[in-house]
Amino acid sequence: MVGQLRQARTAFVAAPIGRILSVLVLLVIVYVIFVLLTRIFDRGGGYFLQILIFGVANGAIYALVALGYTMVYGIIELINFAHGDLFTLGGFISLFLLPIVGADASKAGTAAIILPLIIVFLATMAICGAINVTIERVAYRPLRHAPRVAPLITAIGMSFILEGLMFLWKGPFNLPYPNLLPTASFTIAEATIHLRDIFVIVIAVVLMIVLSIFVSRSSLGKAMRATAQDQDATELMGIDINRTIAATFFIGAVLAGAGGTIFGLYYNTLVFDLGFSAGLFAFTAAVFGGIGNIQGAALGGLVIGIIIAFSDGYFESAWTQVVIFGILILVLVFRPTGLLGMRVPEK
Amino acid sequence: MQRRWYTAGSIIAGLAMIATACTGGTGGGGGGATSGEIIIASNQPTSGGDASDGLPAQNGIQFAVESKGTIKGFKLTFKGWDDTVNGTHDPQKGAQNIQEMIADAKILGMVGPNNSNVARAQIPIANRASFAMISAANTNECLTQTFDYCEKDTGSTPAKLRPNGTNNYFRIAAADTFQGPAAADFAVDTLKATKVAVWSDNETFGKGVADKFTAELVEKGGTVVARQDFDTKVTNDWKPFLTDAKNKGAQAIYAGATSGTKICIPRAQMKGILDVPYMVPDGGVNSQCIKDAADNAANMYGTVAAADANQNPDAKATIDAFTKRFPKKEDVGSYTFPAMDCANILIDAIGRAIDANGGKMPTREQVVKAVSETKAFKGTTGTYTFDKNGDPTSPTMAIFQTKGTDWAFVKQFGVGG
Repeated sequence: MVGQLRQARTAFVAAPIGRILSVLVLLVIVYVIFVLLTRIFDRGGGYFLQILIFGVANGAIYALVALGYTMVYGIIELINFAHGDLFTLGGFISLFLLPIVGADASKAGTAAIILPLIIVFLATMAICGAINVTIERVAYRPLRHAPRVAPLITAIGMSFILEGLMFLWKGPFNLPYPNLLPTASFTIAEATIHLRDIFVIVIAVVLMIVLSIFVSRSSLGKAMRATAQDQDATELMGIDINRTIAATFFIGAVLAGAGGTIFGLYYNTLVFDLGFSAGLFAFTAAVFGGIGNIQGAALGGLVIGIIIAFSDGYFESAWTQVVIFGILILVLVFRPTGLLGMRVPEK
Repeated sequence: MQRRWYTAGSIIAGLAMIATACTGGTGGGGGGATSGEIIIASNQPTSGGDASDGLPAQNGIQFAVESKGTIKGFKLTFKGWDDTVNGTHDPQKGAQNIQEMIADAKILGMVGPNNSNVARAQIPIANRASFAMISAANTNECLTQTFDYCEKDTGSTPAKLRPNGTNNYFRIAAADTFQGPAAADFAVDTLKATKVAVWSDNETFGKGVADKFTAELVEKGGTVVARQDFDTKVTNDWKPFLTDAKNKGAQAIYAGATSGTKICIPRAQMKGILDVPYMVPDGGVNSQCIKDAADNAANMYGTVAAADANQNPDAKATIDAFTKRFPKKEDVGSYTFPAMDCANILIDAIGRAIDANGGKMPTREQVVKAVSETKAFKGTTGTYTFDKNGDPTSPTMAIFQTKGTDWAFVKQFGVGG
C-alpha cells in the first residue's frame, strides 16, 4: 500500500509539467462552463434569447468585415490591416451620402426610407470598392514579389493613412449617425426583439450568400480560386491575375462598406478609429473560422459576436477580451487551421 | 539611383530643420526675463475626444488674460498647450508640455490640466522647478489628500508628487470624495432611485467616481443591481449590460466615465430597453454627451465639481463680455468660468509677487508662495482660499439636468469645509 502510494507520488512528480497544466486548464474550462450554465439556468430563457440576438447581430457585422480579411489572405496571403479602417470609412461615406439622397430622421422607419437607403448602400459599397482597388494598385501590387514583410508594412501604413484622413475629415469625436431603422419590436418568450436586430442579421446573411454563390459559380469566382491555388499556372491559362486580385479587393471592400453602413444604422455612432478594434476582432474571427475560408469567416464572426454578448451579459465586460482570446488560443492549439480549416494552398 | 537617395536625404534633413525651428518657436527660448512680458500658460485637451471640455476651459483662461492685459506694468500674454495624442488626453504629452513651459522663463504659472492622470504626470516636474499650477477641473482626491488607498489605486501619494516638499499645485474643483457621493445622494433623495446599475471605463477617474457613488448609495440603503467595467476602446455594444440592468429592476444608471470614453453612447442604446434616469459625473456634462445620447438625451443628470457662474449675479457682466468674445454655443462649457477664475487667481498672485519683489519680475518661488497665500479671492464661480494641501477651503458641487439639447442648472451646494 505504502509502496503503491510512493509509486503514485513519484509518477505524479515525474509527470511532465505540461500534462499537469493541461489538466488545470481543463478544470478551469469545466468550471467556467459550469458557472455559465448555472447562470443561464438562473436567468431564464427570455434573457438567454435576448443576449443571443444581440450577439448574432453584432457577430453578423464582424462576419462581413472578416470576409474581406479572409478573401485577401486567401488570394495573396496578405493581412490587409487597412481593411478595418475601410469598414469605418464605409460608415463615414454613408453618413456623408445620407442627407444627399434625402434620407433624414423624419422618414425614419417608413417606406420612404427604403429607396434612399438602398441607394446609399450601393453607392457606399461601390466607393469603398474603388478605394480598395486603388489601395491595392498603389501600395500592394508593386510589392507582390517583394519580401512578405514589405506589403505588411504598407498595409499598416495604409491603415494609419485612412485613420488620419477620417480624423481630418470629421475630427476626433463620436459622430452621431441618424436613427433611420424602424423602432418597432415584438416579444418572444420575454425577449424583446427589435426589427433593427433582424435587419442587420438579414442584410448580412443575404450579402454572404450572394458572395458564396458568386465565388463558387461565376467565372470570376473560379478565377479567384485558381489564382489562390497557383498564380503562374492561372496566368498560363490566360487569366488576368491583376484583374482577378483587384476584383477580390473590390468585393472585400464592398462587404466592408456595407458593414460600416450597417454599423452606423445599428449603433447610431461612428468614430474615426473604430476600425482598429473592429478590425482586430474581425481578423480574429477570420483566423477563428480558418483564414482563407469564406464560410469559416462567417462562422468565426458569428461566434465572436456571441462570445462577446455572453461574456458581457453573464460575466463581466472586463473579462470579455480574456475570454475571446483564451478561446481563440484553445481552438488554434487543437485545430491550428481554425474551426473549418484553412483554404490556403501549400507552396 | 544614388543621387535620388541624396536628394531624399537632403529633403528629410531640411524638413527636420524646419520642424526643429518650429518647436523651438513654440517652446520659447528661455532667458530674456526683463522684457516686461509675463506669459500665462494653459494646458488642456483641445483637440481630442475631450476637446468639448478642454476648448471651453482654454477659452476662459484666454479671456481672463486678454481682458486683464497688463499686471503692474508687465504685459500679459496667453499661450495654450494641448495634451492630446491620438484623440485622447495623454499624461506623457502633458509631461512634455510642462517641460516646455518651464524652459521659458517668461512663463510664471499654468492653468490646468483638465484630467487627473495628466496632473499626476505634471506635478512632480513642475514641483522640482517651483512652477505654479492651478486646475479648475482635476477632481482625483489623491492629488492633494493622503488616503491609505492612494498608493494602491493611483501609484502615488501627494508627498511623492511633490519631491521638493513645498506645494506648487492648487485647484478649485471639489475632489471626487464629494462628486460620487453627491450623485448618490441626488439619486436616492431626489430621483427616488435606490436600485441603480453602475458602469465605468477602465480609467482612474471613471472607476474611482463610480466606486464612491456605490459606497454612498449602499450607505443610504440603496443597492447596486449590476456593476461592470468596460474597455471602452473596444466596446460598442452596451445592450447586454442594459438588458441585465433592466431585468434586475434598475431605477437609474450611473456611468463613471468621460466623453473621451463614450460616456453617453450607452444612453442612446437604452432606447427600447429601459427608460430610467441616466446619471453622469462632470466628464459627461458637455455638448458631446448630448450628441452621443442622440434622440434619448432627455432625463439625464450630471454633477459638476464647481459652481455655476450663471447663478452669481455679480458675474453677469463678465459672462456677457465672454459671450461677445466667444459667441458659439460650444465655446462655453461647465469649466469655462472655473478656469477663468483660476487664471485670475494666478494673475492676482503674480501681481502680489511683483510687489513683494519691489516691482521687478518675480521668481517662480515667489509666485507659488503668493498663490498659496490667496485669501477670499472673489471669482465668477465663488470666493476662494486655499488650504495647506492646495484644495479650496469651501468647494461647491453643482447638479445639472438635460433640457432639450442643453444642460440646465438644477442646484448647487457647498461641500466639505
